[in-house]
Amino acid sequence: MKSRLALALLSTTLLFAGHAAAEDMVFTSWGGTTQDAQKTYWADPFTAEKNVAVTQDGPTDYGKIKAMVEAGNVTWDVVDVEGDYAVQAGNAGLLEKLDFSVIDKSKLDPRFVTDYSVGSFYYSFVIGCNKDAVEACPKTWADLFDTQKFPGKRTFYKWSAPGVVEAALLADGVPADKLYPLDLDRAFKKLDTIKGDIVWWDSGAQSQQLLASAEAPFGSFWNGRLTALAETGVTVETSWTNNITAADSLVVPKGAKNRDAAMKFIAQATSDAAQAQFAAATGYAPVNLDSNTLMDAELRKSLPDMQADTQINADMSYWAEHRDEIGTRWYAWQAK
Amino acid sequence: MAVTVVTGAVKTKRGATLGYLLPALLLIALFFIVPVLMLLMRSVLEPEVGLQNYKALLGSTTYLRVFLNTFLVAGVVTLVSIVVGYPVAWLLAIMPQKWSRIVLAIIILSMWTNLLARTYAWMVLLQRTGVINKTLMGLGLIDTPLALVNNLVGVTIGMTYIMLPFVILPLMGVIRTIDPAILRAAALCGAGKMQCFLRVLLPLSLPGIAAGALMVFVMSLGYFVTPALLGGTSNMMLAELVAQFVQSLVNWGMGGAAALVLLVVTLALYAVQLRYFNPARGT
Repeated sequence: MKSRLALALLSTTLLFAGHAAAEDMVFTSWGGTTQDAQKTYWADPFTAEKNVAVTQDGPTDYGKIKAMVEAGNVTWDVVDVEGDYAVQAGNAGLLEKLDFSVIDKSKLDPRFVTDYSVGSFYYSFVIGCNKDAVEACPKTWADLFDTQKFPGKRTFYKWSAPGVVEAALLADGVPADKLYPLDLDRAFKKLDTIKGDIVWWDSGAQSQQLLASAEAPFGSFWNGRLTALAETGVTVETSWTNNITAADSLVVPKGAKNRDAAMKFIAQATSDAAQAQFAAATGYAPVNLDSNTLMDAELRKSLPDMQADTQINADMSYWAEHRDEIGTRWYAWQAK
Repeated sequence: MAVTVVTGAVKTKRGATLGYLLPALLLIALFFIVPVLMLLMRSVLEPEVGLQNYKALLGSTTYLRVFLNTFLVAGVVTLVSIVVGYPVAWLLAIMPQKWSRIVLAIIILSMWTNLLARTYAWMVLLQRTGVINKTLMGLGLIDTPLALVNNLVGVTIGMTYIMLPFVILPLMGVIRTIDPAILRAAALCGAGKMQCFLRVLLPLSLPGIAAGALMVFVMSLGYFVTPALLGGTSNMMLAELVAQFVQSLVNWGMGGAAALVLLVVTLALYAVQLRYFNPARGT
């Protein structure tokens, strides 16, 4: 009995080991149209050039990263995460230091570079509106928080992350240069005024569905999702007034099995050409400073980095420092 | 009934039975009990040794609201499931077998359909711009769309639909064992239809109701997907809270504490059911 059991366990282990060896590296992101573009413009050319197979996995899950690192069995090699998480996880010892002899950081937007992470792409939270469904579209955050002038449901990002708190403060009249440190009491008070009219979106795909069906005819969206939705024929109006930027980052969890391949993958993904192609396909801005010269001038106008007039950069280091505190309050407020 | 048979087998061939159970027990121990214990340990070890997580959890009105809401949702779903499921089970029990097989197949088929697909289908039906609201507004029955989703109504509808088979199947089994002659006797003795139901059929089918209710209530307590998709954030249930602690806040101490509270409540309920509603004790 015992030996049979051992045999069974052994064969299971071998099965898993064989499985891991067959794939050269694993890239994990958030799914949907964004990950499709990451596969097409980053992973596929990487596989063709470097002969390293890239398995796509997802969605990104911070609990899983912690579990993998603690168990010493890390199956994700490169992960697309939110910028504030990247800073925090790096400090918490959950990430590998990046090898900047492989990744050329001199060309990368320094706002998003740390020892443990580089930018993946950067996006803006903008005000989106389904023009066919309403008579007038909100143009500012104050409009979006004004249920008298713009009655109906509005949609916001469900998870605690840079974006909604800032939007609430701006709507309440806080000047853009006085946002940080965030006045959470004031932000939640403002959010209270529209709480009953909020429908939360928890994934980019859901945000598109809510807007297209006019379940929520306006709200705060990732700009790239609106670009993608407009291409499907929905009449989308985007307001860039006080658009709030934040970046995703690429990281390597500590103890990743294919560290070398991971570094090369990040180098490829953040190269000028890969970033330019990804940006053209998704409407998100490139993190490589040389990418702009490779892109169509007309197309560049629709990207977040060209909307700088009233743009607000979410303070990633502030968020990284207060991530837990804000998150705990955020979810408690939601559950109220 | 079934319980008696099993206990009999254990008494006569205890050794052999244990042997057969071993692989399943090992599997559960290795892949369920050990990891669960490890998570629960974190609730008293992280961020430091002590009960601070339980203090934070039970001392906060917000989290207490989540507990209450969990019980509320589970209770409402259980009640609605029984009210809706009872007539179906009764009909299935007295139908000609040819027909009951078809109806049963439909019920089972719905159970086999992917949970996410079924929940998304409800979303499409129930949302403000969904089929139901559009139809009602088209017929002129309502002026503004009804709020059927992102609230308790949506969660109740979605979960009741998923839980119905778990009420119908045990109830049907119990009702089938009730001798129709008893009902006829009651009628002959002058009982009206309502009396027949309330004083004969209902008491006799109580074990089925209890079994179905417990199953639904306990399953509902730990439900995640449907409340997450069809409920609003103010209808949050415990399982969602655990997921939030573990995935978003990466605070496993609090996650473990919330999980333990859920586990204790569930086990306590199960103990109550075994004590008071065990069908085997009545036979």
